[in-house]
Amino acid sequence: MKEKTQVADVDRSRYDFRYAENEGDFLDSGITPDIIFEISEEKNDPDWMREFRLKSLEIYNRTPMVNWGPDTEGLDVDRIVTYIRQKNRMNTDWNDVPEDIKETFEKLGIPQAERESLAGVGAQYDSELVYHNVRKEVAESGVVYTDLESAMHDPKYAGLIKSHFMKLVPPTDHKFAALHGAVWSGGSFVYVPKNVHLDIPLQSYFRLNAKGAGQFEHTLIILEEGSYLHFIEGCSAPKYFEAALHAGCVELYVGKGAKLRYSTIENWSKNMYNLNTKRALVQENGQIEWVSGSFGSHVSYLYPMSILNGRGARAEFTGITFAGEGQNLDTGAKIVHNAPDTSSYMSTKSISKSGGVSTFRSAVVVNENAAGSKSSVNCESLMLDSISRSDTVPVMDIRTEKCDIGHEAKIGRISDETVFYLMSRGLSEEQARAMIVRGFADNVSKELPLEYAVEMNNLIGLEMQGSIG
Amino acid sequence: MSGTKLNILPVPTFRWLGVNGAERDTDGLAAKELAIAAKPGEKRTSLLWIDSEGITDVKITVPEGAAVKLVEVFDVPGQAVSKVTAELGDSAAFELVQLYLGGDTVSEAVIGLNGRRSSFTADIGYMLGGQDKLDLNLIANHTGRKTLSQINAKGVLDGDAVKTFKGTIDFKNGASGAKGSEKEDVLLMSGSAVNKTVPLILCAEDDVEGSHGASIGRIDEREVFYMQTRGIPEEKICELAALGKLRQILSKIGDEDTVIRINKRLGRGEEDE
Repeated sequence: MKEKTQVADVDRSRYDFRYAENEGDFLDSGITPDIIFEISEEKNDPDWMREFRLKSLEIYNRTPMVNWGPDTEGLDVDRIVTYIRQKNRMNTDWNDVPEDIKETFEKLGIPQAERESLAGVGAQYDSELVYHNVRKEVAESGVVYTDLESAMHDPKYAGLIKSHFMKLVPPTDHKFAALHGAVWSGGSFVYVPKNVHLDIPLQSYFRLNAKGAGQFEHTLIILEEGSYLHFIEGCSAPKYFEAALHAGCVELYVGKGAKLRYSTIENWSKNMYNLNTKRALVQENGQIEWVSGSFGSHVSYLYPMSILNGRGARAEFTGITFAGEGQNLDTGAKIVHNAPDTSSYMSTKSISKSGGVSTFRSAVVVNENAAGSKSSVNCESLMLDSISRSDTVPVMDIRTEKCDIGHEAKIGRISDETVFYLMSRGLSEEQARAMIVRGFADNVSKELPLEYAVEMNNLIGLEMQGSIG
Repeated sequence: MSGTKLNILPVPTFRWLGVNGAERDTDGLAAKELAIAAKPGEKRTSLLWIDSEGITDVKITVPEGAAVKLVEVFDVPGQAVSKVTAELGDSAAFELVQLYLGGDTVSEAVIGLNGRRSSFTADIGYMLGGQDKLDLNLIANHTGRKTLSQINAKGVLDGDAVKTFKGTIDFKNGASGAKGSEKEDVLLMSGSAVNKTVPLILCAEDDVEGSHGASIGRIDEREVFYMQTRGIPEEKICELAALGKLRQILSKIGDEDTVIRINKRLGRGEEDE
């Protein structure tokens, strides 16, 4: 019998280490007004934020669960610990970070990446930022990269935070946006002044170490006119048997003629429910580029949204999803064309194996006021066995005649003809199949910074074996 | 209004897009049922011209080696609900040709490609304007091995017309060697028309090939320029482009009298016959 090509699961051993937590640092599980007051107290929230949290809790309690995506029955939010105190304050000197946390991030290669290729780094451990630093020359250019709580208490930025926080993703958006509004903690604030170009990226890394906990970080980025930023986000957690929850929120404001590239490698453990919300508002001739790799988590709902609100605004989304055993990853993107001459391009790949379920879900909306807009969507899915599943659920909602919209999708397995062609050029069957699968992921890996592309290849961890004939 | 939910999308998606179903008040609509049961190896064609309000439910059985073609033309001044269900045996073929010329229509076709090497082709055309509404839900369920489905939809939206096209190719586990493709080509001729295109591929089998494509927009500027250089006025170019979309569908009808009737309805008279 012919043996099928085997592609290994993502190798997670590098991420599956953990440190004991002091349970005295945990707030009670569940979502109640008392918990909200306690979080608010811990964080010394201004009054408006405390009220915002309580209002969000009300919305959370009356909003039904989504009824259209992967099953979330294994997630009991009332058993999730929403906040874990940090004993130490956030540091800007790596030597001051507590030893166990420092060791965690060193194992993940964060300090090395900071030294070699980043303009600034933020590191969140459970509920709080533990380290935030930005290069001197970057800070001198007026770029602000700090934790959101510090910015909220800084008179220079407090107004900016209040006028932008959860305005793009209001708590009414969906149940987990409301939950985020109620219990958010940690995350980054980035402000790039007019015409400032950051040639090297900033990076935030989110690590959830505690068992049965949730992480609810909020990332707020504001790019002024003509500026440029590449922001990288990484996330991981060790595996436990209890469900964990990630309900972060990312709000990106891209000013006139500004360009933001937002790259994410998501590698949560397979007990994680990743219910994250990301949204960008792009002004005239501005540009947002999303690069997204989804490898981890048990269940994911992830659809970064771009709202093209100014003439000539552009959005690009490049993504790859790898769903292995026990994973149901529902990923994709949403783009709203809300001004004339806007354009968007979406290119995604997904791989399903060993019973994994991968769903590509998208929405392209072209409103009446978006004459002259163009959009192109391309998605490809690769099924590596017949016990897995791969679905494609795109929607195009077009409300102007002056537009050009194209969509293409393909699904299938590794083509025998292509394998035959490569073998006729001297490759073995194993080499040919390995090359095809690696090539399938190439559109994403070439969009990533080199060290992340290498990381992605490590994650996929291809292991090919096959028989001839 | 009772608000019966029709045309349920097999895998629901974002609620705010309003494509998971179509709600209509069907109380008081007369229902008509039709059963088409071919004999093994038989070839037959049925043609329905639907021009009055009501519910049409067509159940089709296509046994081994049989080929059934169903042509439906919808020209209803009010509300119409249509459902076509077909079950296909080994090497059976079902061809569905539908043309929508106006009204408020909710139309669903669910095709069971159960038999080995059974095949389904759909050619759907629409020419909508004014306040016309059309919600289409085509589902090709591939359960048999080496089954084949091909869905082509083409149409024109003018005025305040609202159209939703949902096309699903569902490869069930065990449908090895199956192939399915779907394509929609939409010409928008008005800034107030609304087009929604929802092409789904659901896949629980690795040994399959599925694809879908959609193209939505205005008339290609190069085509307009070419025709203008040939002295054709702009209004005429739009009319030609619109009719060009339907020509392929009309060619599938295979009944001359019906094509003449459609051309008359479209105001083309004798010139296009």
